[in-house]
Amino acid sequence: MTNPLLSVRDLKVSFPSETGTVDAVRGISFDLKAGRTLGIVGESGSGKSVTSLAIMGLLDENVRISGSITFDGQELLGKSDKQLSAIRGNGLAMIFQDPLSSLTPVFSIGDQLIEALTVHRKLSKRAAWARAVELLETVGLPNPERRMKSFPHEFSGGMRQRVVIAIAMANKPKLIIADEPTTALDVTIQAQILDLIAKAQSETGAAVIMITHDMGVVAKTADDVLVMYAGKAVEKAPVHELFHRTRMPYSIGLLGAIPRVDKAEKQPLVPVKGNPPLLINLPDACPFASRCPIAIDACHAREPDLVDVGNEKMGEHHAACIRSHEITDGGLIDGRRVFPLPDVAERALAGVPREDRPVTLEVRNMTKTFPLMKGAFLKRKLGEVHAIRGISFDIREGETMAIVGESGCGKTTTLLQIMDLVEQVDGDILIGGTSVADVRGGHAERTLRRDIQIVFQDPMGALDPRMTVADIIAEPLRAIGTKKAESETRVDELMDLVGLDPSHSNRFPSAFSGGQRQRIGIARALATNPKVVVLDEPVSALDVSIQAGVINLLDELKAKLGLSYLFVAHDLSVVRHIADRVAVMYLGAFVEQGSVDEIFEDPQHPYTQALLSAIPIPDPDIERTRERIVLTGDLASATDHIGGCSFASRCQLFKVLPPEDQARCLGEVPPLTGPENHRNACHFR
Amino acid sequence: MIVVATNLTYFLAWGFLDPRNNYVGRRPPLSEDQIVQLLQPRNLSDTVSLLERWWSWFSGIIFRWDWGVSPVGQSVNDQVAYRMWVSAELVLGATILATVLGIALGVYTASRQYKLADRIGQATSIITMNINIVVAALGIVLLAIGFNNMVGTTVFFVTGSASSDVTGFFPIIIDALQHLILPTVALVIIGYAGTHFLQRSLLLDNINADYVRTARAKGLTKAQAIRKHALRTSLIPVATQVAFTIPTVFMGAILTESIFGWNGMGRYFLETIAKNDIHGTVAIAAFGAVLTAIGALLADIAVVVLDPRVRVS
Amino acid sequence: MPRNSIQPAVGPETTAIRLPRKRMSKWELYSRRFRRNRPAVAGLVIFAVLVLFAVVAPLLARYDHIELDFLNLGEPPSGEHWLGTTSAGNDTFAQVAIGLQRSLMIAVAVSVGTTVISAVVGTAAAYFSGMFERLTLLLIHFLMVVPTFLLLAMFSNDSGGDWRTISLIMILIGWFFPARVIWTMALSLREREYVHAARYMGVPGMKIVLRHMLPNIGSLLVINFTLGVVAAVMIETGLSFLGFGVKIPDVSLGSLIGSGANTITSAPWLFYFPAAALTLLTVSMALVADGLRDAFDPTSAAGGRA
Repeated sequence: MTNPLLSVRDLKVSFPSETGTVDAVRGISFDLKAGRTLGIVGESGSGKSVTSLAIMGLLDENVRISGSITFDGQELLGKSDKQLSAIRGNGLAMIFQDPLSSLTPVFSIGDQLIEALTVHRKLSKRAAWARAVELLETVGLPNPERRMKSFPHEFSGGMRQRVVIAIAMANKPKLIIADEPTTALDVTIQAQILDLIAKAQSETGAAVIMITHDMGVVAKTADDVLVMYAGKAVEKAPVHELFHRTRMPYSIGLLGAIPRVDKAEKQPLVPVKGNPPLLINLPDACPFASRCPIAIDACHAREPDLVDVGNEKMGEHHAACIRSHEITDGGLIDGRRVFPLPDVAERALAGVPREDRPVTLEVRNMTKTFPLMKGAFLKRKLGEVHAIRGISFDIREGETMAIVGESGCGKTTTLLQIMDLVEQVDGDILIGGTSVADVRGGHAERTLRRDIQIVFQDPMGALDPRMTVADIIAEPLRAIGTKKAESETRVDELMDLVGLDPSHSNRFPSAFSGGQRQRIGIARALATNPKVVVLDEPVSALDVSIQAGVINLLDELKAKLGLSYLFVAHDLSVVRHIADRVAVMYLGAFVEQGSVDEIFEDPQHPYTQALLSAIPIPDPDIERTRERIVLTGDLASATDHIGGCSFASRCQLFKVLPPEDQARCLGEVPPLTGPENHRNACHFR
Repeated sequence: MIVVATNLTYFLAWGFLDPRNNYVGRRPPLSEDQIVQLLQPRNLSDTVSLLERWWSWFSGIIFRWDWGVSPVGQSVNDQVAYRMWVSAELVLGATILATVLGIALGVYTASRQYKLADRIGQATSIITMNINIVVAALGIVLLAIGFNNMVGTTVFFVTGSASSDVTGFFPIIIDALQHLILPTVALVIIGYAGTHFLQRSLLLDNINADYVRTARAKGLTKAQAIRKHALRTSLIPVATQVAFTIPTVFMGAILTESIFGWNGMGRYFLETIAKNDIHGTVAIAAFGAVLTAIGALLADIAVVVLDPRVRVS
Repeated sequence: MPRNSIQPAVGPETTAIRLPRKRMSKWELYSRRFRRNRPAVAGLVIFAVLVLFAVVAPLLARYDHIELDFLNLGEPPSGEHWLGTTSAGNDTFAQVAIGLQRSLMIAVAVSVGTTVISAVVGTAAAYFSGMFERLTLLLIHFLMVVPTFLLLAMFSNDSGGDWRTISLIMILIGWFFPARVIWTMALSLREREYVHAARYMGVPGMKIVLRHMLPNIGSLLVINFTLGVVAAVMIETGLSFLGFGVKIPDVSLGSLIGSGANTITSAPWLFYFPAAALTLLTVSMALVADGLRDAFDPTSAAGGRA
């Protein structure tokens, strides 16, 4: 056995805070061999990023670190900033989460790349330039020579992340740490970047630490997996072993909570109840015990160690659970599920066919263009951004319609058009049969707004931090003039409905966790008994284990109250789980529209196909064997005048078409055609 | 904007100032006719209708660039042209010094956040920034007088911008410096701290920015990363602010000039109000407005030079 | 004393370490953070002492501030006149006390006025956007071009030195600059989801401004108020020093310093005492503002400065 490239032993990181010392990392050990990929998964606050920054030596000076980090035979802890800087960027490189902010805005791409080269070795200007161009070419930037002089703001997020990867690759590092490298990116771009990291790894022979919260990304990339919870490793195993022979209840819960894009059946997700503990003065007990359905008294007695539970066949497998030997494959204990399946609420409208249900929201030929202005003082109109290009859909009672698409496709603008009750030029928006064009005056508007309410993406931002929960939930009631006593009972009722304790109604939002805040937002949306609830990425800001609970709640409320949802999301797995009907949006227009199973089982439009294929599936066997379509390029700009199919520039089908068909793609806008429950906008599908 | 503001000031000035008052209490008292005869050729007599007065004043500016005369017949153009440079000598030097000092201190203290040097710097700046200019200037005057007495010769002049009886190139420069040093010190003392705080807090914001972390991950030491990546970005708003404060400093020099007896714009401002010199007052208002516009323009230029994001688009 | 940091130097989304939230109330937290900032506490104490002095001293003083003691003209501090007398025989102690009182009254009145007007105008402009916003900004930009100190001098010179008129003028001329600052702050507030949420619920505009926008810039307003006091004191003393502000027989710190300046070599106590009171006043308020800023700022790491 060769010596590991990186060896971390009993790493502990703590830093002071207003309320006490936070033990962010509480004793982590692992080894990483050259060329291997270690996936570190965990939810926010589990200490995974702090671990990576500790290895890089990039933590604040006031942070206390103990243990040992040996890289390439050298102990890193205790080295000065100067000594470390000789290693950083040379042997050790890092890719950060947010490509938008990780490049210096005032320096050109070329300068930043050349700096990474010249800081570690003497290079002539010409040689450095040539090497930088070569690097940009490697990471797949078109026109690298010209791009060298560009500034970061001229690039899209995906392009910037390529530059960050080029910087990381600059000195052929032995270890690349990727800290959530694709979290901020769209799914088709994520696929490109993950491929690129794999390419960088094979070209430099580097080991990779892939830090992520996405089990799909782990399944796709990692050789070994380390699951972190509350600052500790709770399970550590090779990737197949971890996914198929999970032994720690938290890991089981994490896997069970993920909606799967490849599974059609509508069983409820299994949420992990409760919240992760605060990392201050933790008692000597299993930190997961309070959320664990199979916890016994002994779990609270002392914190379990990470012990080997592996067998000869599969190799090492460590888990930190005193009952792990009782757990069998498939997340079972004594033949039953560790996390029992929650009950499914009976759908009140399940028997009524779609055609017989009333339409609650109808959008006819919605369009929206923004003028493109330029100049600080004298604004000139340069052109128009076609944010929405004539979309139509209807939602019936008890039905969820989802709009999916990547950032910038116009899905949020669609929501805002509806919520702002914008009168359409050559179309209409009808809410419960009332056209927004007929709404005149404040009273009529308030009456109409009773029927349509919204839940926002960011559970913190959507609640006024200076109002109590009771005031927040009662606000829509007061806006329509409900009496105080009446609204108070209604608040209690609503809190009960969304699974919150009504006795907490006089607290402020900051006292609640992310998932609970989202429940408050849902309660507020339901206050006026609306017909339609608009959901703008309602779970994308939540951790997986929490997300499942909110999705289940939404499902349950729809069944109980017969609500209609307009659901906007970029996460196709969530959409598949929750929606009845789906519209795939690309550059302001629907490219495919129909019932959820039709679209997911038989995607017709090339874009839908690429989108579905880009989602990593949390199962290493499926993920590593399936065929995928990786799109090239970025989302085109909505300002470009497109005379034909807007997707043609990235389309994989377009590339294999004969020239006369290609001409049709470029010259003729494809209309949405097909039967009611499955239509697509492609000339050749 | 400037034109509107200037004209508005013209009417406001007529509302509050009355050149006639200058002749009240003259001995022997002047008759009504005499006063009108004195004022009318200077376009300051209220026997003419306000609109007519305004038009002859305004057309004078537009067609002949003539800003009118004071009640005693001095040309406003001459006054402003002369005093502008007196003020500029004082204000520009002080602004440059205060800016350089402020940025230097800001960078120095930010990279030593919460260490002793930072705290001393912070404490000093918060005190100097909030000392009234009057107190600071008079305090300096007291110190200078004390110093002069101690040395037994006049090293620092506490009044005026130059002595009249000095000749020769070097003596004139030395004499100018002797006059300049005290008011400049007074202006710098109260002026540098604002830049110091702004630079410090901006730099601190940027020190924790993601791109500084990227720079360190590349292999730059923390100090290098701050110097190269954080400083450049944080200079942009500082440059904007400094450009914007130029007109404020010019007007703020009113007190300094009056304490140190400099015949600059600030002094002129006091005199015009005291002597009901409407044309002078309005000219100063216009001057201030032009300075504001220049400041805004300089700020824009600074941003364009420093920030590629603006440059490109 | 360890240097405290509220947040680790790590990325915002993934690594926000779960800090205990809400173990103590917000105000407790603010006051704790404020109290840990020793200069700010010192500033508050000095300010309190000054206020006390301005209120109590006139009652203790043996002489009224306009009363003339012809036996003691231009005397240095003594047992009879604690802080000496002016050349006309005014008791400096009484004058300083009254002058401080006057300066304080003007400063507080002006700061309250400007803060209220600027807060309402700034947030309303940001929320209602469109025409209202453009008009307000036009007005503000116009006022920025107008040399306000000149207007101030002209107006107050004309007002005959009544401190109430002077305060009113200072409010009228001083509101727009903070209004612009608040407008910029409120712009980001306008895009907050809870503001959108309120609008989508059908809450009327002005109610949203008052219920959602103003309270959420409350900390900024408190700081603005304290700094406004400093600025108002500065301007008022400047005006009075030049003779445009408060006029005899009324006195303010500025007019006292102004008359003290004339005799700065022969009777320096006439300058020292009002100057000291003025400096203490402004510096203490600035320290308080600084402390408040640190206490309110969730990202400030200055909590452990002391």
